Amino acid sequence: MTVFHFFNCAILTFGPHAVYYSATPLSEYDTIGTSAKAAAVYLGTALVKLVCLATFLKESENGNFDPYQELLKVLINFIDVAGLYFALTQLTHRNISQNHKFQAVGLGWAFADSVLHWLAPLWVGARGLEFTWEYVFQGLEANANLVLNLSLAALGSLMWLRKNKPRILIPIIYACAGVLATMPSITSYLRRALGWQPAKAVGFELFSSLMMAFLSWQLFSACQRPA
Amino acid sequence: MAGRRRGRIGGGVEVLDSIYSVVALVFILVACVELGDAATAVDVYRLIQYDIAGVPYGSRLAGLNHHAGASFFAPGADLSRTVVMMPVRELNLTFLREYIISNQPLGGLLLLLPEKVGNRIVGKIKSKDDGLMRNILVELEQLLIHANIPYPVYFAFEDDKINAVLADVRRNDATGQPPMATTGGYKLLVSIPEPKRVSSPTITNIQGWLPGLKGDGDTNQLPTIAVVASYDTFGAAPALSVGSDSNGSGVVALLEIARLFSRLYSNPKTRGRYNLLFGLTSGGPYNYDGTLKWLRSFDQRLRESIEYAICLNSIGSWKNELWIHVSKPPENAYIKQVHESLSDVANELGVTIGIKHKKINISNPRVAWEHEQFSRLRITAVTLSELSAAPELLESTGGLHDTRDSLDEAAVYRTIRLVAESLAKHIYGHQGRNIQIFADNSSLAINPFYISAWLDLLSRAPRVAPFLSKTDPIISSLKKELSDHTVELHVQHETIDGMFSFYDSTRATLNVYQVASVAFDLLLLLALGAYLILLFSFLVLTTRGLDDLINLFRRPPSRKVKAA
Repeated sequence: MTVFHFFNCAILTFGPHAVYYSATPLSEYDTIGTSAKAAAVYLGTALVKLVCLATFLKESENGNFDPYQELLKVLINFIDVAGLYFALTQLTHRNISQNHKFQAVGLGWAFADSVLHWLAPLWVGARGLEFTWEYVFQGLEANANLVLNLSLAALGSLMWLRKNKPRILIPIIYACAGVLATMPSITSYLRRALGWQPAKAVGFELFSSLMMAFLSWQLFSACQRPA
Repeated sequence: MAGRRRGRIGGGVEVLDSIYSVVALVFILVACVELGDAATAVDVYRLIQYDIAGVPYGSRLAGLNHHAGASFFAPGADLSRTVVMMPVRELNLTFLREYIISNQPLGGLLLLLPEKVGNRIVGKIKSKDDGLMRNILVELEQLLIHANIPYPVYFAFEDDKINAVLADVRRNDATGQPPMATTGGYKLLVSIPEPKRVSSPTITNIQGWLPGLKGDGDTNQLPTIAVVASYDTFGAAPALSVGSDSNGSGVVALLEIARLFSRLYSNPKTRGRYNLLFGLTSGGPYNYDGTLKWLRSFDQRLRESIEYAICLNSIGSWKNELWIHVSKPPENAYIKQVHESLSDVANELGVTIGIKHKKINISNPRVAWEHEQFSRLRITAVTLSELSAAPELLESTGGLHDTRDSLDEAAVYRTIRLVAESLAKHIYGHQGRNIQIFADNSSLAINPFYISAWLDLLSRAPRVAPFLSKTDPIISSLKKELSDHTVELHVQHETIDGMFSFYDSTRATLNVYQVASVAFDLLLLLALGAYLILLFSFLVLTTRGLDDLINLFRRPPSRKVKAA
């Protein structure tokens, strides 16, 4: 049952990515190349982030919530946004429509994120005899991350790839993008400073990601109307 | 259009193929399962495993990997795949005896001993509970030692972690669901290599020699008095057999007597005309095998010069009465002399000394007292002990109950006083005189701190002979201490009599895992499957439309028809 549990948690963590790819038209247009390139860009971004964290962040002795350190972490998270920008705009993609480009990039990005974050802990921890809910929660978090990354990619493509946007919506787009970018910091703040239980924190993440996804969808379809 | 579509689907199939191969690789890697961190890890001590003349005794298995249960009576439980955890004080010994004797199956037994509250209890706390626990432990030990148990038996000390686990297991049992592979609960795991026979178990005899004062022109050998104590133990859990009373008390008394006489003998003016021989022998529980081999190693002159020997055995918890055990009849002149000198001092101290005579039966291999080995070689010897009856084989050899708090230091002090004064009076010829040689507050006073320190050390050192290597720290300490007090130290290494053989693996770590049942994971798999299917349908609906979803489930149009 230990290997079984690992298998279950792996399905929960990585399954939705595969399902998303095969369910949407992405599979028809064979956008796996785009996703792979996006995953590679994510790896590069992660490396740059790690170097920055190591250079600029001090190790906190008592594990309390230090606003200055958290601010630094938020700034470093914006490197994520920069990486996404690079993936969306600078790389050469095959001729796929705007619609599918952001989905493919978001999917690749999210998949690389999940693998880097969750594969190693899952492999080491979930195969033991001891049972904890931890890995199921991690899987749910990975799902929420997928949705968040797709929303961020959507808003990113709106910001940088679409030239004619309605004037009123522009600040809203930027605000949503900002919220999405800082979402990891917000969740870590909730977990550590406010001491929320893991179940509560994961619930919040799922809920907020769905909300943001809905918002992004509305914004995207609103921007598509002037054709 | 259809051809292009097929091309797309072909490309998709290739991708799926590569994914399948990756998944297969993952499965191969996953096949090597590791064990993660356990919720609790506890030190456990295994029941001894030994053979006497080929007949097996004790627990014959060491590895443990079963579910935990809390009682023998859980309905529907498969006891052959359960480890029963039970505190010793709640044990029903008659039931356990029946269970073991009738060879009923069991996955394993984990007995929980009362919590170790440090190694000493100051003062004489001998409550009724302590006495009851002591009796239970004695009976339990005798039952387990003399039974042949085909499953692992372990001892552990109760502490918060394991009490929490026990409470949980009891609650699970109470709900009526027996712990099995499909209903979760706790799993107990001890991974330890299979026990192997100890190849040549050694016993180490340590002797110290204090020579007496030879006058000028004195060509004859001076007479010798021997003081002997055996220092090794035997018990149900060899890693816990510290034998504070049997025979740590005897060893400490011997060391203190050696120290006192070494002070007297260091000055030629106070050196007596007797040699003193101090012997710390091993192999006591096995019919005093070590003593026999030690005596056999003596040369004839030494053997003949021994006037008498005093063997000390369990002198740590008596109140008013001590016993001398002899094998020659009490009317014998030498025995009378020894008895009288001891009784004189005893009267001064206000205690009584009784005398018990047990004849030696040469054809019986059982040697109940150490002095019998001397008597078989025609050396006068007595054993001084608080036990009034001769113990059976492997009884009173220092077991689970025999810990530091079962000792009374005042008793050890009194014994040392008794033996030292009577020896000194005999050596210096002051019999019958009212003199106290080792008076309190004199420079020759008996040192209670010395006694206390050595009792503490011995109570922390399990001393079952086959598991003591030649260079074990306790043996080195005893050697060093005796060599400090004597002029000549001699160490003899022998192997235990071939009738006894022992098996190793005496202590291990128990891992307690809280496991989820297979049913839970199956449910989780079903839930995940449903979730993924829902997600898939939702995405197809929103991005491609309902028609596409229905098309997925329709069989693809037959190609033969198309070609035709």
